[in-house]
Amino acid sequence: MTSKSNSSMVFISVGSLVIFLAFWELLCRMGFIEPLFMPAPTQILARAGKMLGDGSLLQHTLASTRRVMVGFMVSSLVAIPFGIFLGSSRFFMAVFDPFISLLRPLPSMSWIPLSLLWLGITETQKYSIVFMGSFAPSLLYIIEATKGIDPLLIRAARNLGASNLDVMREVILPGSLPQIIAGLKVMLGIAWTCIISAELVAAREGLGFMIMNGKEYFQTDTVLLGMVMISITVMVIDVLFRKFERRLLPWTRQ
Amino acid sequence: MDPSVAASAAAPENGVEKGAVPKISVRGVTKIFSSKRGEVTALKELSLDIQDGEFMVIVGASGCGKSTLLNLVAGFDHPTAGEVLLDGRPVAGITPECGMIFQQYALFPWKTVQENVEFGLKMKRMPKQERQERAARFIDLVGLNGFEKTYPHHLSGGMKQRVSIARSLANNPQVMLLDEPFAALDAMTRQVLQEQLVRIYEKHRKTIIFIAHSIDEALLLSSRIVVMTARPGRIAQEIVNDLPHPRNAEVQLSSRYMALKRTIWDSVQAEVMKSMEVEAD
Repeated sequence: MTSKSNSSMVFISVGSLVIFLAFWELLCRMGFIEPLFMPAPTQILARAGKMLGDGSLLQHTLASTRRVMVGFMVSSLVAIPFGIFLGSSRFFMAVFDPFISLLRPLPSMSWIPLSLLWLGITETQKYSIVFMGSFAPSLLYIIEATKGIDPLLIRAARNLGASNLDVMREVILPGSLPQIIAGLKVMLGIAWTCIISAELVAAREGLGFMIMNGKEYFQTDTVLLGMVMISITVMVIDVLFRKFERRLLPWTRQ
Repeated sequence: MDPSVAASAAAPENGVEKGAVPKISVRGVTKIFSSKRGEVTALKELSLDIQDGEFMVIVGASGCGKSTLLNLVAGFDHPTAGEVLLDGRPVAGITPECGMIFQQYALFPWKTVQENVEFGLKMKRMPKQERQERAARFIDLVGLNGFEKTYPHHLSGGMKQRVSIARSLANNPQVMLLDEPFAALDAMTRQVLQEQLVRIYEKHRKTIIFIAHSIDEALLLSSRIVVMTARPGRIAQEIVNDLPHPRNAEVQLSSRYMALKRTIWDSVQAEVMKSMEVEAD
């Protein structure tokens, strides 16, 4: 595709968004939609201005982002080495398989009661929800990624004197990294659903809390603003993640 | 037929009477692969000695167990019966002493040319400075200066195989095993690489086992040629290649060359026919 048609595609996308918002605004102004159920875009914008002014919008956004990041990082840092290890050992794969199979279908929401019981309404409890929601699926992504390695490369490495650990570090890890990162990108989205659910149930700050709190006070604009903020934050993080991905995988660059 | 083309039938333990321990000794090796569909005997009671500094080339019909033999020498696989000895000691596992060059290059895509060539040295925990210098020497040897920081997917097939050769040589193996290394290359590149390999062999005097893609390749490179039978693989014929060096166009047009080629062709052809009959069954 040429850059010209690329930019015209962006123009079309922006145009479609603007028309949608204008139509929505118009329906609200003309009284077709009750603001309590669906406030107008300008009303949401006004709420955003107010919450930006008192700093609460940034506070909630950063709280959720921090929780996602900490939980997700811990989960990934454990899952990557463990997944690579399991992917290269059939024995230990068999040992851990039943536990992974039992953990994987559990939605992160189902961990909320236990985590509250064990950890209370604390930050650690939020991290643990993100961890429990993303760890087992991440692990499976990583194990699957290690299976895509060309066995010839492992042979070549061994032939050049690589030990088991060398093979994991020098061949299996970098060889499966593109698929691992693709999997983690999906997991990052799931981590966000985990934290929002956790905050909806019990929290003192965060975007999930903001949405729930807005509902309690019939501030539908706050609810919608919280939802928009989730979308925007996830989009921004996705862009940052892609930058990071390119740095991490220099050999995939053309 | 030229009587000097001594075609010694492969009797077990037919090692050349030199007194010295052969570099590699394959003794009565049988290899059977078992799968759900049954058992396949890839090699049957195969015996073969390779002396230090020999350039031995194996030819044979496809599926005759050439690669299996190489994999046993490299320690990737274990014989069902018999043994493979390196310097008189059984090959216990994968050993860096036998450097393997694969037809598909097997370069690490995430490593630059320099990092690929350094790989074996890194595994030996050689200090960084030292291994960089050593890798640079071998990159130079295969004529890839200027490509040190390039990733393999930017290289042509011929260049990739040169990196693979440099990677193996940098690791200083005693034996080099090459499994149809130039089969995927175009004719011109293949010729350049064949000549380069001969020069490397003359300079470094490694013991080489090379599975050839064609009889010409075998005649061009070898000091000895082994023809393998159709499956199950055994040795049909061993031929000492006494063609003079360099094996240029003049040598390739000599009557001696033609006679050797004829002998090998007859032997290989018979085996190819047999293997086709087996497949037709």
